[in-house]
Amino acid sequence: MVNKEVEKYLLKVQKPAKYVGGELNSVVKNKEDVEIRFAFCFPDTYEVGMSHLGMKILYSQFNSIPYIWCERVFAPWIDMEEIMVENNIPLYALESGDPLSEFDFIGFTLQYELSFTNVLNMLKLGNIPICSKDRTGLTNIVVAGGPCTCNPEPIADFVDIFFIGEGEEVDLEVMELLRECRKEKTTREEFLIRASQIQGCYVPSLYEIEYNEDGTLKSITPLNNAPKKIKKRLMMDMDNSYYPDNFVVPNTEIVHDRAMQEIFRGCIRGCRFCQAGFLYRPVREKSPEVINQQCHTLCSNTGYDEVSLSSLSSSDYSQIVPLLDKLTAWSTEEKVSISLPSLRVDGFTDDIMSKIKTVRKSGLTFAPEAGSQRLRDAINKNVQEDELLNTCRTAFSGGWTRVKLYFMIGLPTETMEDVNAIPALGKKVVDEYYKNPDRPKGKSVSVTVSASSFVPKPFTPFQWEPQDTISTIHKKQKSIKEHIESKKIIFNYHEADTSFLEGVFARGDRKLCKVMLKACERGFHFDGWSDCFDLQKWLDLFEECNIDPSFYNNRRREFDELLPWDHIDYGVKKDFLINECKKAYASKTTPHCRLECSKCGANRYGGGVCFEKH
Amino acid sequence: MKNIRIWFTKDNECKYISHLDLNRVVMRALHKSKINLWHTEGFNPHPFVTFPLPLSLGFRGVKECMDIRLIEDEYNKDEIISSLNDCLPSGIHVYDVTEPIMKAGKIDKGLFEIVIEDDTVDVDILFNNFKKLLQQECILVMKKTKKKGFKEIDIKPHILQWKVADYNEYIKCKVLLPAGSTNNINPTLIINAYNNKYNADVFYQITRLDIFDKDGNSFR
Repeated sequence: MVNKEVEKYLLKVQKPAKYVGGELNSVVKNKEDVEIRFAFCFPDTYEVGMSHLGMKILYSQFNSIPYIWCERVFAPWIDMEEIMVENNIPLYALESGDPLSEFDFIGFTLQYELSFTNVLNMLKLGNIPICSKDRTGLTNIVVAGGPCTCNPEPIADFVDIFFIGEGEEVDLEVMELLRECRKEKTTREEFLIRASQIQGCYVPSLYEIEYNEDGTLKSITPLNNAPKKIKKRLMMDMDNSYYPDNFVVPNTEIVHDRAMQEIFRGCIRGCRFCQAGFLYRPVREKSPEVINQQCHTLCSNTGYDEVSLSSLSSSDYSQIVPLLDKLTAWSTEEKVSISLPSLRVDGFTDDIMSKIKTVRKSGLTFAPEAGSQRLRDAINKNVQEDELLNTCRTAFSGGWTRVKLYFMIGLPTETMEDVNAIPALGKKVVDEYYKNPDRPKGKSVSVTVSASSFVPKPFTPFQWEPQDTISTIHKKQKSIKEHIESKKIIFNYHEADTSFLEGVFARGDRKLCKVMLKACERGFHFDGWSDCFDLQKWLDLFEECNIDPSFYNNRRREFDELLPWDHIDYGVKKDFLINECKKAYASKTTPHCRLECSKCGANRYGGGVCFEKH
Repeated sequence: MKNIRIWFTKDNECKYISHLDLNRVVMRALHKSKINLWHTEGFNPHPFVTFPLPLSLGFRGVKECMDIRLIEDEYNKDEIISSLNDCLPSGIHVYDVTEPIMKAGKIDKGLFEIVIEDDTVDVDILFNNFKKLLQQECILVMKKTKKKGFKEIDIKPHILQWKVADYNEYIKCKVLLPAGSTNNINPTLIINAYNNKYNADVFYQITRLDIFDKDGNSFR
């Protein structure tokens, strides 16, 4: 719905289709007929948010319940934001056009630390009081879910309830609780206290934090009977978990403009830098029959001619070949192409290749993550150099000429030797192309070497590690650049500045809330976008607030230090993480879940890969 | 093989779908509808769809069309209409399917209705000012050139017919302008001329009512 007041300005902004709704399959209900209105807010642009699978699942699921109406809200791009502020247009939801303040729940998904400022900015644009303590009554409950809630402390003052883990069940339980509390006419405080008793609900206002003199945490004390440890929620039976049979199909181009089919959650690998690999344990697969049927329905209902199989590592799906057989049985006939993102270097086999060959040969992406074998072992990537070269050979014979290789720099234990192994590996891939007699005739090869800067994250074996300083990262980037000799290699790298800020928020504590509040007052937003990000503005702000960002980023934490996220429990034991960290120092690998159980603790959930028969 | 012309309206939220995006929306709707379309035979087969005259972003269209090619010669008009409407966003509504009579290249003029509001002045003033503007001997405006620059042109000779009427809160202007592959005048240029002349910033809503060949026959 687009109201006239907004319409006056729409032709003055870029891509106005982002701000009007009205897409195929968007859900419009009569607001008189519902009891709970939920504004699902994605703290980034429409193009990014509409590509997010989690939002699609929860949007459909919430709307399948008659008393709930869930609508979508995205961060307006800077041109639109300026117009909205200038003309007093509050941030509104796309389906009804109603302002945020009319919603019972204002729910954010936290996918990325640098979107935190957008969360606060969206509250501000919606005329919602930023701080939890300033909001009253049984409405405008601000909730947040997604991976970044594993350490939500930097925004603990602004969110009423964080959902820890997967949202399918807990979100609905909290909405039901609000209904009850309204009937009983309880206070907002009583509602929050009761919510804290629901597993997976973290009510930050019910925890008192004390600090030591050196700034580290002294204690985390729950109040009002809130649990000492907040345990994550997760769906154990993936085949019977809710999955949408329909997506909202955008009218303007978005980042991932295709149907998405989840095939499993979690990852068997245990790469030591990867937060998702630990947060979503254990691996839980859907059966090929269910995936195939859901996929087919989704394509029929959306009209998409491309479907991507989504997971953390598609080639680790235990029945990948039978699944692709099932899918290709109808997809070719119906002119639907199947794409398999997140392929591992060792997972790109001839068998898989021939089945996804119908897809345009745009390029293949692999992530060796580190240049040297020693460092790959230290991070537990478990990929051998010859596997990578074999895979590239397979791809080149199959007609691909473009390969993208993802690396990280700044990994724990990394030396300059490891860094310089990155361009060397790029060179070996180029050589592999020219060694290959089956290479596409008359075409040149292009190898993109992309290096991001490593940011240590909570709930990984590297959560105690110092992050490389900006100047060290620059030094490493420079060295890679100098060691690239071939013109066939394109080198990209991420800005060290943004990784710095990401690192501060990722392992920050509640002391950062005052920085966030000031950042919001000054109109900081879109920190993840180079259009808006300015590290100096942040450094000034830290200084003003008397906060040293390197305390969060560049300091080695002791294994026995109380961490800001220690009251949150993702099912993986701390002892296991410590042990993994020590193994990294010794460059020792850990086998993946299907080879051998490493006793991380995730078997307590009683299902998934932990109980698979091998 | 058969070419057919699909007639539709483009309104509400869908006014803001750009032509490039409309193409994508239509492709997806056609794919979803399972209408038996003829596909190009290249490396990357795709259905054959063309739009005789694209509509500018933000305009309502009440008589828009696109041409598609079917595999079979026979088709059921009502079936195509209803299956496409099930697959399109609600702001795009298919109302007729015909056989193309004129070629797209025959399009020569477009009839537009512009609703103009300005809450800073009385409607009478708006009405008179607008009339004055259109009565001028020459109306100079800056027009974007294909080379990304601007050029000053006189649009007056291109305004083939015009009529202004006033209502309670707004005025309505109907204009006939050149439209087609060779010469095109966007009605927004008239609004720009008005805003420049009176230092105004009016709210306007443009609807394309119809398109014609050079003899004034409605495009079919």
